[in-house]
Amino acid sequence: MQSSSRNKVGLVFFPAFDWCITPDHPEREERLLYTRDQIVEEGLLDVPGIEEFRPRVAEDVEISRAHVCVPSVGSVITQSHRIAAGGTMVAADLVLTGRVSRSFALLRPPGHHANRIVHGSRGFCTINNEAIMVEHVRRTYGSHLRIAIVDTDAHHADGTQDIFYNDPGILHISLHQDGRTLYPGTGFIHERGGPAAYGQTVNVPLPPGTGDEGVLYVIENLVLPILADFEPDLVINAAGQDNHYTDPLTNMQVTAQGYARLTELLSPDIVVLEGGYSIEGALPYVNAGLLLALAGLDYSAVREPDWSEEKVKQPPHISETIEKTVAQLWQMWRTRKDVDLERIFGHGPFFTRQRRIYYDTDNITEEQVEKIRLCPACSGWRVIQSGAARGWGVPLGRVTVIAAVLIPWHACEDCRREADEEFDRLQKSGRFRYVYLQDVERDIYKRV
Amino acid sequence: MYIAGIDVGGTNTDAALIKDNEVVATGKVPTDHVNLVESTAAALETILGSYRGTEPLELHLSTTLSTNSIVEGRGDPALVLAVPGPGMRIEDLRLGFAVHQLSGSVDHRGREVAPIDREEVKAAMNAAREAGMEVLAVVGKFSHRNPSQELTIEALAREGDYRFRHITLGHRLSGRPNFPRRLATSYLNASVAGQQARFVEMVRRLMLEGRNIGKVYLLKADGGTMTLEDSLVRPVETILSGPAASLMGARALSNHQEGNAIIVDIGGTTTDMAVQAAGEPVFQPQGAEIAGHRTLVPALFVRSIGLGGDSEIRVLCRRENGQTSRQLVIGPKRAGIPAALGGSRPTPTDAAVVLGMTSVGDVHRARKAVAELAGALGIGVEETARKIIDGFVRQLVEAVEDIYQYLESRPVYTVSELLAPRDIRPRVLIGLGGPAQVFIPLAARAMGIDWEVLPYHEEANAIGAAASRPTAAVTYHADTALGVAAVPEMDYTGEIQKAMLFDIRKAREEARRWAIEKGKELGVLDPDDIAIVEEESFNVVRGFYTIGRIFTIRAQVRPQVRRIVPGAERGEPNAVQQS
Repeated sequence: MQSSSRNKVGLVFFPAFDWCITPDHPEREERLLYTRDQIVEEGLLDVPGIEEFRPRVAEDVEISRAHVCVPSVGSVITQSHRIAAGGTMVAADLVLTGRVSRSFALLRPPGHHANRIVHGSRGFCTINNEAIMVEHVRRTYGSHLRIAIVDTDAHHADGTQDIFYNDPGILHISLHQDGRTLYPGTGFIHERGGPAAYGQTVNVPLPPGTGDEGVLYVIENLVLPILADFEPDLVINAAGQDNHYTDPLTNMQVTAQGYARLTELLSPDIVVLEGGYSIEGALPYVNAGLLLALAGLDYSAVREPDWSEEKVKQPPHISETIEKTVAQLWQMWRTRKDVDLERIFGHGPFFTRQRRIYYDTDNITEEQVEKIRLCPACSGWRVIQSGAARGWGVPLGRVTVIAAVLIPWHACEDCRREADEEFDRLQKSGRFRYVYLQDVERDIYKRV
Repeated sequence: MYIAGIDVGGTNTDAALIKDNEVVATGKVPTDHVNLVESTAAALETILGSYRGTEPLELHLSTTLSTNSIVEGRGDPALVLAVPGPGMRIEDLRLGFAVHQLSGSVDHRGREVAPIDREEVKAAMNAAREAGMEVLAVVGKFSHRNPSQELTIEALAREGDYRFRHITLGHRLSGRPNFPRRLATSYLNASVAGQQARFVEMVRRLMLEGRNIGKVYLLKADGGTMTLEDSLVRPVETILSGPAASLMGARALSNHQEGNAIIVDIGGTTTDMAVQAAGEPVFQPQGAEIAGHRTLVPALFVRSIGLGGDSEIRVLCRRENGQTSRQLVIGPKRAGIPAALGGSRPTPTDAAVVLGMTSVGDVHRARKAVAELAGALGIGVEETARKIIDGFVRQLVEAVEDIYQYLESRPVYTVSELLAPRDIRPRVLIGLGGPAQVFIPLAARAMGIDWEVLPYHEEANAIGAAASRPTAAVTYHADTALGVAAVPEMDYTGEIQKAMLFDIRKAREEARRWAIEKGKELGVLDPDDIAIVEEESFNVVRGFYTIGRIFTIRAQVRPQVRRIVPGAERGEPNAVQQS
């Protein structure tokens, strides 16, 4: 007989014990081994109210709702990516069908560095599990659902930001170690979203050395008030576990207790594992604490073996920096609707942005030009022209140039027509290896 | 060679005598709970008349002793010393028994993180002895990876003047993870140990009373046997051996010992179902559950539903779109004995009697009972009877489907298992029980598979006890980065020599070697009877270098059952049908 959890929690656990990027890569078979050992030994899977479910395999069309994969879905991912994305969708279905009150997709590989256009793998990610889930949720349960994603990985969730940066239905908040000190080097407070969703991208850069105190301060004084204001139908926590004080790739000081408290405060509907590579010292304890917190059980006895108060103490100057950032971001949130968008995005008819994106995992450089139709009636159709080749900066191989026309949810008639015309024009131009059309509302995904 | 199987049940004690592979006698006496040894001896007497051998008789015993004592909460009060370390609070486990928590801790790789406080241990043991506790259970979190703290506490218990009559150490009972289950298993083991010791004494006396009895084995929840000596160390494994005995009886008597099958035992009130995959029984995912305690005791996977020959039949009215439809629902309650046999209400057995599918009891009484339902439905008696039979079959087939959906939705942790799941779907439906001859062929047809109905029912448990063979498993865990290996079930921990050369083949060899050793203790001498059933292997990478490997390999004495054919005593062969 075990204590029942207060919340019915669905766990989709898939450690992919037979998959790795390379045998000595952080994203390897061993990553969730000790987490599995800890969870099973704690008996957490026996707690009434915590139920384990199998993931499923995501289909091409489900991935195409969030991504334009070049040259095709099947060519850039492995079965293991499909299972991670499929498992994340299972986690969403469990909550949205009312089978459980909360769910946790504890699986790998992660996804939050994967952009809308996918030429390969970056930051250990190829396809974006949260984004695929969000599109699945909107298609299955209603395209008007308002969804908040709170990404608490130590790295900026640049991929998720990219996918939803002009999406008025989505609020994306990313807490991360300051981009000046860590991959991917983005996620500054002035990155606030596109013309149709300005202010709904919220970046909270945290100084190296931030501990429980700082992260929980941000949750209580910024994230929760913004969520209360945004009133989402669904809160997703992209739960990277690399803010932990033992993580080998970052410089943060968060503990298992901090993560559990964060989860308790945020009370997300769905939690999805992202990064976290202190596979022995952090993950077993963070995940045990997180699962207990999600279930509404006492997590106070979860403690890392090498924990000491001095080790995880946050210096006072860091607290001051964080308080200032939070005050500034709260002010920015409150006044987001007063901002003169023309001053930022121009008069139209298009806003254009140009970017260079490096795929560190696969050593690919991508150059992108994106045009967004500034439409008064909807969020506007978009066209992305993208060229990519192996190598860093200097192309080492053939450059693949593609174009993708994107029609958003709830596009107006004019935008639909213009987008269709653009798709035809690009096809005929002969300048592109492939031209893609992504029409989420009609669920049409073409490549010519 | 003769083997006697005796199943001491709550009501009756059944006995069966098998010679080589044939049933030569069966018998039955009422169980005397006050003088268990008397009724066990009496059951043995009913079959000994057919014993014509000269060599000592091998005796296989299945008892409800531990089961009853746990269900009725009659076990001895035990001091449970736990070394929980950090994690889920032990108070939140609501284990249903008191646990004394000690300091100390071991991590997931079996490294000691915090030491035991010897004075704390002694104080706890003194207090428990003063409170009259005579048995001790010691359980550490991750003790299956490193039992040293449990062993230290055991040594302290033996050094001092505590005189515990029995000490259970968690790691010896199972090499599997799950601390709360290890706690429950160890507590139950310690609390039934005294009673088991008395029972073993009685059995030894029984053997000495001039009967030519050789080896004695006890049946376990996994359908295998253990020695009398071993049962003193791990008595908890004898729980739930009754249902296991019946299912092993079915497996023994079936022509389908290989391949995939579903075994369905249809009784009066309930139907028990078990699964065979690739010739081996399917086990409970983690272990047996008994009286609300989740344990690590290996147990056959058994599902019971309230559906049987004596089930109650109700008419359910449904209103949909202004239309009223009437549906028959069978079970889960029992109506009583069938009307054909003198009962007052219609049952599935009565429906079968009406249709001439079986010839028990009085057909007129059966018709009269079914006619009442026919009146409520506004249709004829035969049609009502057919609806009852169809309803029974439909409910049975749905229950079987539920089992497979449950088993197929169990989590898997590798890409390959998820993409290519193991095929466990049945090719044959093996049935036993009074109503089996009526329902099994129909259910098999509905499922599109073959069927087989076994000629024994009430004796299947005793036959199963006689036919059962030893089972045991060992878990070999090696961590070459730490240079240590452990086999908790064998109380072994040691260092790995030449750790960098230690690979998966070496690990398999070691696991097999330990399992063979375990097998020898049980009299299993053929190395072909040892199989590796689970295997994990991970590279341990720190920085950018592989610094070692972790292997976990589970090897077992394959769960087998003797093939038994019905003897001349019964005369009927198994009824079979290829569909």
